[in-house]
Amino acid sequence: MTQFLQQIINGLSIGSVYALMAVGYSLVYSIMNFSNFAHGGIIMLGAYFGFYLLTLFKWPFVLAFFGAALCSTVLAVLLERVAYKPLRMRNAPFLYFIISAMGASMFIENFVIATIGPTFKTYPPVLSREPFQIGSLFIGRLDTMIFITSAVCLLLLVYFIDFTKVGKAIRATAFNARVSALMGINTDMIITLVFAVGGFLAGVAGVLFGMKYTVYPQIGAVTIKSFIAAVFGGLGSLPGAVIGSVILGLLETLISGYFSSQFRDLISFSLLIAILVFRPVGLMGKLGEEKA
Amino acid sequence: MDWFYVKGILILSGINLMAVLGLSLLTGFTGLFSFGHAGFMAIGAYAAAFIGVNLRLPLIVSLLAGGLAAGIISLFIGRLTLKLKGDYFCIATLGFGEAIRLILDNVQVFGGARGWPGIPIRIDLWNVVLINLAGIAFMISLVNSRHGRNMIAIREEELAAETIGIDTFKYKMISLFTSAVYAGIAGGLVGYYTGFLQPKMFGMTKSTELTIIVIFGGIGSISGSVLGTLLLTALPELLRAFALWRLVAYGAAVIFIMISRPEGLMGGKEITFKGILRAFGFGHKHGKAREV
Amino acid sequence: MDILEISDLTKTFGGLTAVEDVSFRVQEGSISGLIGPNGAGKTTIFNLITGIYKVTAGEITWRGDPIQNLEPHVIANMGITRTFQNIRLFKRLSVYSNIITACHGNASYSIADSVLKSKRFRTEEKRLREDAVSLMKILGLTEWQDHVAHSLPYGLQRRLEIARALAVKPKLLLLDEPAAGMNPDETQQLMHHICRIRDEFGCTVLVIEHRMDLIMGICENIVVLNFGKKLTEGPPKEIQSNPQVIEAYLGKEAGISA
Repeated sequence: MTQFLQQIINGLSIGSVYALMAVGYSLVYSIMNFSNFAHGGIIMLGAYFGFYLLTLFKWPFVLAFFGAALCSTVLAVLLERVAYKPLRMRNAPFLYFIISAMGASMFIENFVIATIGPTFKTYPPVLSREPFQIGSLFIGRLDTMIFITSAVCLLLLVYFIDFTKVGKAIRATAFNARVSALMGINTDMIITLVFAVGGFLAGVAGVLFGMKYTVYPQIGAVTIKSFIAAVFGGLGSLPGAVIGSVILGLLETLISGYFSSQFRDLISFSLLIAILVFRPVGLMGKLGEEKA
Repeated sequence: MDWFYVKGILILSGINLMAVLGLSLLTGFTGLFSFGHAGFMAIGAYAAAFIGVNLRLPLIVSLLAGGLAAGIISLFIGRLTLKLKGDYFCIATLGFGEAIRLILDNVQVFGGARGWPGIPIRIDLWNVVLINLAGIAFMISLVNSRHGRNMIAIREEELAAETIGIDTFKYKMISLFTSAVYAGIAGGLVGYYTGFLQPKMFGMTKSTELTIIVIFGGIGSISGSVLGTLLLTALPELLRAFALWRLVAYGAAVIFIMISRPEGLMGGKEITFKGILRAFGFGHKHGKAREV
Repeated sequence: MDILEISDLTKTFGGLTAVEDVSFRVQEGSISGLIGPNGAGKTTIFNLITGIYKVTAGEITWRGDPIQNLEPHVIANMGITRTFQNIRLFKRLSVYSNIITACHGNASYSIADSVLKSKRFRTEEKRLREDAVSLMKILGLTEWQDHVAHSLPYGLQRRLEIARALAVKPKLLLLDEPAAGMNPDETQQLMHHICRIRDEFGCTVLVIEHRMDLIMGICENIVVLNFGKKLTEGPPKEIQSNPQVIEAYLGKEAGISA
C-alpha cells in the first residue's frame, strides 16, 4: 500500500510538470487554433536558462527560477513575433503556422546542440536530500516543491483567466477573435500576452523538469506527451489539459513502477489511440460543427 | 569529387525522393500534415528486410511488400484520425512516428536499438533510378486524373469538395495509403543500400527533413519535390563540415520560406515541356493551364 | 410533383434554436425563393439539406426518399448541390480546374486506368474536358479559363461557383445569396442565367436572397422565414403585400416595392 501511495505521489509530481507544459500549449491553441509545436523548445530553453543562471551566474535559487521563467517569456513572445505574426497578418492557412512552428522547433533544438552541445547537464542539488516523512511514506522534497509550484502557478492562471478583466478579454478572443476585435479588444496584444503567459509556464516547467531529471536539448520531445495529454483532456480546454496531464503522469509512474519502465513512453501513445477511438474530443472537449 | 561520391549522393536522393513523393501527395496535394512519415519508412524497411532476408524473395517483391505493410498500417491510423479535425491527424502522426521507433527500439527480434546488420546490399544507382522513374510516372498520372483533382480539391476547400460529391474521407485514405506505400518502399531501399537498419534512422529528424523538402520544393508540385530532394540531399552532403549547423539552418530556412515564399521553389507549378518552351520565348501566352 | 419536401425541420445548437418546425415543399422544375431577415435560419436550412449539419428533428425528403443526416457527398451525388454565401471556390486553381474537378462524377475510371492510360481513361477524360469547356461557354467564362479563381472579379467568382455546381449535373441547385455584391446590370444577367439553368439544364432552383428585384423577378413561389420559423409562403404578389413580411423586414411602418 505504501509503495502504491509512493507511486501516486511520484505520478502527481511528474503529472504536474506535464500539466504546466500542456496548459501553456492548450492556451495558445485555444486562442490561435493551431498547435504550437515550438512550445517544447521554449520549455527546453527554460531548463537551460535555469541551469546557467544557477551555475554560471551563481544566482540564488528563487531568483534563478524567476529569471529562467522570464527569459522563456521573452523568447516565447519573440517567437510569436518572428515566426507567427507575419503569417497572421497575411491570414495564412493554419498549415503554414504549423510548418513555421516546426521550423522554429528544429532551429531552437539544433541551435542548442550546435552551440552548447548535446551532453546532459545536471542541476546542482538545491534542496536537502532528506525526504519528508508522513507515517511510513517518504515524500521527496523535490517532488513536493514541484507539485506545490505547479499548483500555485495553475491557481494563479485560473485566477488570471477567470477573474480578471484581461483574462476575460483572453477568453473572449479565444471564443471569437474577430468579434472581440470589433468590441475594442486589441487582439494583437492579447495574442502576445497569451504567448507570454504560455512562455512563463513553459519556463517554469522547464526548470522543474530539469531539476527532476536532467537538461538536454531534446527535452522538447517530452512535450509530445503534453500534447497528447492536452488532446486527452480536450484540445483547447485548460482544465482538461491539467486533468489529462495528471492522469498521464499517474499512469506512467504506476505502469513503469509495477511493470517495466520500457513501456513508459508507450503509455502516452496508447492513451492517444484510446482517446481517438473512444472519445476523440477528449474528456472535456465539446463536439462542434463547422459553419458553412 | 569522384564518381563514387556523386553516385552515393544520387542514390541517397533517390531513396529520399520516394518518401518525399509520397509525402508530397499527402501534404502537398491533399493538404494533410504528417509529422511521422519516417514511421512508415521504418515499417517498410524492416518488413522489406525481413521478407528479403528470411524468405529470400527478390528485391522488387520485398520492396513492394514493405510498402504494402506500411500502407496497411496507415489504413488503421487513417480510420482513427481522418474523420477528425486537422490537428488530431498531425498529433496522431507525430505520436505514431515516435511510437514505431520506440517499439522497434524495444523489440529484440529486429535487433532493438542496436540495429539489424548484415542485410545484403542490393541497391545500385540503376535500380534506384528505375524505381524513382516508376514512382514519378505513377504520381504524375495520379495527380492529373480526376482522383488527383479530388485530392487537390480537398486541400483547397474541403467543405466545397464535399458538396460537389467528393467523398473526402475516402480520398484522404487513398492519399494516406499511397503516401505510406511510397515511404515504405523508400525505407526498404534504405536497408538494402546501407546494409543495416537502426530505429534511430527513422526518428523525428527524418520525418521533419522530409516535410521540409516538400515545403521547400513547393506544395503541389512534383517537379518541385524532385528538385527539392536533389538540392536538399546534395547540399548537406557537400557541407558535411557544417553538419551541426545544417539543421539550424534548415529550421531558420523553413520559417523564412513560410514568411516570404510559402509556395516554395516551384510555386505549385510544374516543369513541363510547354513551360520550358515558353520560358525561352516560344509558344502562346494562354495555353491550357498546367498548374495544379 | 414535389421534388423536395421539408417537414417540421428543427435545428438547435446547444441553447440556440436556429430553425424551428419549418415545413415547405419545392415543386420540380420551379424557381423558388427562401427569404427572411438576417439570422432567420435560411443558410442553416441549406446546410441541413446538403448534410453539412445534422438535423435535430424533422425530415427532409428528396424525390420520396428521406435524406436528412446523410453525408454531404452522398447528397451531392443524389443530385442536390449548392453555392455558398461566402464564396468557397478552389481559390488557387484556375477557372478551368475548378470546373473540371467538379465533373469527376461523370467519369468512372479507376486509378489503375489513369496510370495505365487505358482507353476508358482517355475517352472519359476527353468527355470531362468537353463538359468543362461547354459549361464555361454557357456561363461566359471561356476567356477567363486560365485565370486563377481568386483573381476574378467578384461577380465572375459567383458565376464560377454556379458553373462548378452545374458540373455535378444536379437536379436541385441551392443558391445562397448569388447576387450579393452585384450591381443591377450583373443582377439582370444572373437572373437570366438562373432561368436558363432551369430551362436548359432541367434543374430546379431554390434561391436565398435579400435582393428583392431578383426574388420577385424570377421566383414562382417564395418561403419567408423569421427567427427560425416559417412566416408564410406564396407567389411574389402575395408576399409583396403581406403585412407580416413587411413588418419582419422593415418594421411596422414601411412598404416594399418590387
